[in-house]
Amino acid sequence: MSDFAGMEDLLADFLTEAGELLGEVDNKLVELEKRPGDRALLDDIFRGFHTIKGGAGFLNVQQLVQLCHLTENLFDQLRKATLALSPDLLDVIMSATMVIRDMFAFLERGAMPPSADDALLAALQHAIDGSPVLVVSAPAAVAAAAVAPASAEPDWEALMQSVTGVASTASTTPAVRAVTERTAGRRVSDQPDSDGARAGRREADRVVVSQETTIRIDTVRLDQVLNLSGEIGLAKNRLNCLRTDLLAGKTGADTLRSLDEAVSHLDVLVGDLQNAVMKTRMQPIGRLFQKYPRVARDMARQLGKHVELVLSGEETELDKTMIEELGDPLIHLVRNAVDHGIEQPEERQAAGKPETATVRLSAQQLGDHIMIEISDDGRGMKPEALRRKAVEKGLIDAEAAASMDDRHALQLIFLPGFSTKDTASNFSGRGVGMDVVKTNITKLNGRIEVKSVPGQGSTIVIALPLTLAILPVLVVRLGEQPFAVPLALVREIVNIRPDEVQEVSGRPTMLVREEVLPIRSLANLIGWPQSRPPAYGVHMQSGLRNFVLAVDGFVGRDDVVIKPLEDVKPKGIAGATLSGDGSVVLVLDMEQLLAEPAAETRRALFEQAA
Amino acid sequence: MNQDMKFLVVDDFSTMRRIIRNLLKELGFHNVDEAEDGAVALNKLKAGSFDFVVSDWNMPNMTGVEMLRAIRADQSLKHLPVLMVTAEAKKEHIVEAAQAGASGYVVKPFTAATLDEKIGKILQKMGVNQ
Repeated sequence: MSDFAGMEDLLADFLTEAGELLGEVDNKLVELEKRPGDRALLDDIFRGFHTIKGGAGFLNVQQLVQLCHLTENLFDQLRKATLALSPDLLDVIMSATMVIRDMFAFLERGAMPPSADDALLAALQHAIDGSPVLVVSAPAAVAAAAVAPASAEPDWEALMQSVTGVASTASTTPAVRAVTERTAGRRVSDQPDSDGARAGRREADRVVVSQETTIRIDTVRLDQVLNLSGEIGLAKNRLNCLRTDLLAGKTGADTLRSLDEAVSHLDVLVGDLQNAVMKTRMQPIGRLFQKYPRVARDMARQLGKHVELVLSGEETELDKTMIEELGDPLIHLVRNAVDHGIEQPEERQAAGKPETATVRLSAQQLGDHIMIEISDDGRGMKPEALRRKAVEKGLIDAEAAASMDDRHALQLIFLPGFSTKDTASNFSGRGVGMDVVKTNITKLNGRIEVKSVPGQGSTIVIALPLTLAILPVLVVRLGEQPFAVPLALVREIVNIRPDEVQEVSGRPTMLVREEVLPIRSLANLIGWPQSRPPAYGVHMQSGLRNFVLAVDGFVGRDDVVIKPLEDVKPKGIAGATLSGDGSVVLVLDMEQLLAEPAAETRRALFEQAA
Repeated sequence: MNQDMKFLVVDDFSTMRRIIRNLLKELGFHNVDEAEDGAVALNKLKAGSFDFVVSDWNMPNMTGVEMLRAIRADQSLKHLPVLMVTAEAKKEHIVEAAQAGASGYVVKPFTAATLDEKIGKILQKMGVNQ
């Protein structure tokens, strides 16, 4: 049993909603730092804490109630202007929201959170009492003053009488009592279900309350799904009728035309239905973005920098799974921008830039892709420095570095083991840098690229497909066997003429739009014999690798649903899908296939075959 | 008590609406509608025949007290019992609620039994007064 047996549903709802609310509160706190006197902001933040407190009360999480209660009281005074907001006080409040978030994390695991740090509670209480603000890391000894009084309920009946002058007939209270008499009330620690009693069994019975298994969907979208499935039902009936006709031998032009119409109609409907179902999983990316102003602010403050994070395109929608998977990479990129991208204020001033740096985080939909950009107006990156670094670290050889153009050189930051700062800072440089970000984005079938102008700043561009459920592919042929490659990697299709294939360092290459590209034979990559010379090439770009994949022919492009191969996992195969005629098509995992160094020679491509 | 009474639960926090709805269900009241703020609630009240309002205090757009005043000022609604819910147990709040014409006041968190008692008292009082 968890601490919340029987309340799991309620708890999950509370966490989703309160989590969002806390995110908003966090952002408003960052806003408040800029406009400390804004009454509407103060009201909103007050209400946020108040609402979380209310919900926590019903879940009987006294630790959370206590902390929210103090914070709420503090904001009550701030909005009544009986207390002024100082940067130190804001830090105390910010650490309170951090602790609240930690408590949510406990609740997510179905465990009762521990009480907030005494020093924090004391600092809040001090501020409420109007004393000078304590630094949060103050010794715990000051905590004695910090027991939050949970007010007992006043006597409504008595008050009603005193206000209206009419004795309530239902009242069981014989005499009018002053409300104040009872406000001394109970203390939180007197509650029978307080923390101590539960601590013992907490570890043993941790039941995971998974927050992310539910989703909130606009009913309009659900209705669309319903309508379409209804229409598909009608189309099915039509096809059933036509089948009866056809089986009865009616194969006239009329019947065939009706069949054609019905199938086309069904085709459109199924497409629409797929779209509509996909839309039910789409969530605005703003829910992810809203965490970041706080992240950027905290970090900038600790580094002594002035940074403003500007968000745009928060309403852009993305598949729920993608949003979850994007959380870590984006946080890393935001931190990276603040830590490495942005200069110290003096350095900025010296360069004639405004002291406050701007980091922009934007999202927009372009066709069937979502583009996410993180740009900063910091110091930028020098391609030459990156080349030198990569060679020093032994990631590439000097020859490769020399032949690499600036655009490609910038992408070196995504190589494993590459870090532009020698000393890892507290925040972003932890050795698991940009290569992990890149791996995560690639897993989502996305692309990531960095652009930079030295002295003016860097921009990281992430392109993601709208959904993971449907993958656009190019179906190629090797002999009679079809294989699918993700369309996102395909640049163009070219002819391979034997006389145009040149050997460079013993490897076959060809010239495509004035670029020398290595030719990789699909047969060779999957370990098949090269039974005939390749006729066509697919110019593909997978990460830093730009190459021509040699194949025998094409089937066409298709939107497929990938089924993972559960038990057998052949190297280089991402999964399987069914083609229109019912045959199985393997979907290639190019990154994995290309992990092996090239082995083909020009001779192997064209002569062995004969 | 009449179990068919139609309730309107007003709160901006959907978890809280669900909690109150569940508590009402425990008490045998199944006819419950919800509104996320005072303004939405007023529209619903004017459109439908509600018998009882349970409202939060702190809400964006229109607070519980503003809604309460609007209800009391409306000829067709002013008889409606309104139970105010809040996390505050402050004297000035209670005075304000009473002056605005609240029928009762309950402090979060509360149990089904507490809610039952509050609703019972209000209905009993109305019965006597009528």
